[in-house]
Amino acid sequence: MMRKYIAVSQNSFYDYLAYRLNFLLWRMRVILFMLINYFLWLAVMPNEGSIFGYSQKEILTYIMLTILINGIVLSTQTARVAEEINSGSLNGFLIRPINYFLYNVFRDLPDKCINTFFSFIELGILIFLLHPPLYIARDLGSIALFILAVICASILYFEINMILSFLGFWVNDVWAPRFLFFILVSFLAGNYFPLDIFPESIYKFLEFLPFSYLVYFPLKLFIGHGAGISVVKGFLILLFWVVALFGVMEYIWRKGLRIYTAVGQ
Amino acid sequence: MEKYIRVWFALSVNSFQVFFLSRVGAILFLSGKIIRFIFYLGFLYLLVSKTRVLSGYSLWEVVLFYLTFNLIDSTTQMLFREVYRFRQMVVSGSFDLLLVKPVNVLFRVLFGGTDFLDLVTLIPFVVFIIITVSHIPYINLPGVILYILLIANALLIAVSFHIFVLSLAVLTSEIDHAIMIYRDFTSMGKIPIDVYGEPFRSFVTFIIPVGIMMSFPVKALVGLLQVESVIIALVVSTTLFLSSLLLWRYSLNTYTSASS
Repeated sequence: MMRKYIAVSQNSFYDYLAYRLNFLLWRMRVILFMLINYFLWLAVMPNEGSIFGYSQKEILTYIMLTILINGIVLSTQTARVAEEINSGSLNGFLIRPINYFLYNVFRDLPDKCINTFFSFIELGILIFLLHPPLYIARDLGSIALFILAVICASILYFEINMILSFLGFWVNDVWAPRFLFFILVSFLAGNYFPLDIFPESIYKFLEFLPFSYLVYFPLKLFIGHGAGISVVKGFLILLFWVVALFGVMEYIWRKGLRIYTAVGQ
Repeated sequence: MEKYIRVWFALSVNSFQVFFLSRVGAILFLSGKIIRFIFYLGFLYLLVSKTRVLSGYSLWEVVLFYLTFNLIDSTTQMLFREVYRFRQMVVSGSFDLLLVKPVNVLFRVLFGGTDFLDLVTLIPFVVFIIITVSHIPYINLPGVILYILLIANALLIAVSFHIFVLSLAVLTSEIDHAIMIYRDFTSMGKIPIDVYGEPFRSFVTFIIPVGIMMSFPVKALVGLLQVESVIIALVVSTTLFLSSLLLWRYSLNTYTSASS
């Protein structure tokens, strides 16, 4: 049963090996993005004391770990779903005895594994070069919650991306909404900064959006800023979005299939 | 010259008509750019208003760095949009069709897709820059002249990098992200280059002259740039431009039209 999906992962992995230079350049882009943020925060944070409720150690750890979170949570191949719908090559998947959602999950797995593997290496090199003061989580509970939040965030990001790609059933060009989505994610997920540096009213609003659970929430748990009720509340909202968007994803998929005409084939 | 202006205008009008083919897409792209600009500006405001200074620069000066970066970046994107599509031309073989036309091929692949839609963002940038400058004391006329000169210099460096990217696409079709790497490096100029620690600062000032492109104009405007630095900036841009032309010529000589 699972052998066919493992084969999908293997193929996806070989795809990466075929375009090695492209992948290395992509990783370089991720590092550059993080470096700009890192130096910006380093310039404004005092060695002692705190700004926005964060010490220098905590904020630099947060910024550096965005590399890791980008590797695990935000790496995905689901943009190809829209191409498959628009080109009509989705037909090939519909007539095969496979679950298209599982197919995409297994196509994503090597992507996440390779990106995560490289992000660990990059973090090692950057820590060696920059000697940043880092917050090392020693509390096993925080680490366990961080891992759980990362897993849920990965599922959430997969669902959001699948929904975006399913727009391909109705429109030919899904790159524009995807571009807009990436911009929203990069800011509202907390890739540039922890979201609680916003004024409280804005933060309260952002807390209820799914974006803040992709990057900000897991990292906040890692640096030990989550406590008691806020952790429970965070996980409840995160789980709500995971379940709700799963329903939306299934619904849009069924609706889309009804009007799908395999126009590209 | 007149012929090239007519060709450029005709190509730009064609490019603009694409907007009417996918209006919603174009509006979403434009909205994305505007949202990104506002969000990052808000972020800088939030950060620097709390700390008062960033590497010795006041809030208005930091905003000016960011606006100048956006002005140079958007102008470059508006003018050289065709570069983003060039690799595909080489891979598909359609580049051959440009080579046989009686128009300089470098001109065609650099300026063939000028996107007037970007003017929507460019004009406000200029207005914001004027407003921001009015809030910074000690601005004088020589500073303003140097600022304009160094922005033109930054555009020359940008042209050179775009020609390098075009040459790379002819020499090797493997690199897909080259133009995006250039953009990522230049995005380091969103904030004053002084923020970066060594050796990154020297690297992004002299090896990849992002500092010369993005930070030097503002530094000249606020009177923080030595005459020697201005001369270095002009030498670097001229050298880069001439080198890029040499590489382009070399790449054309090695072009085998393998895809067609």
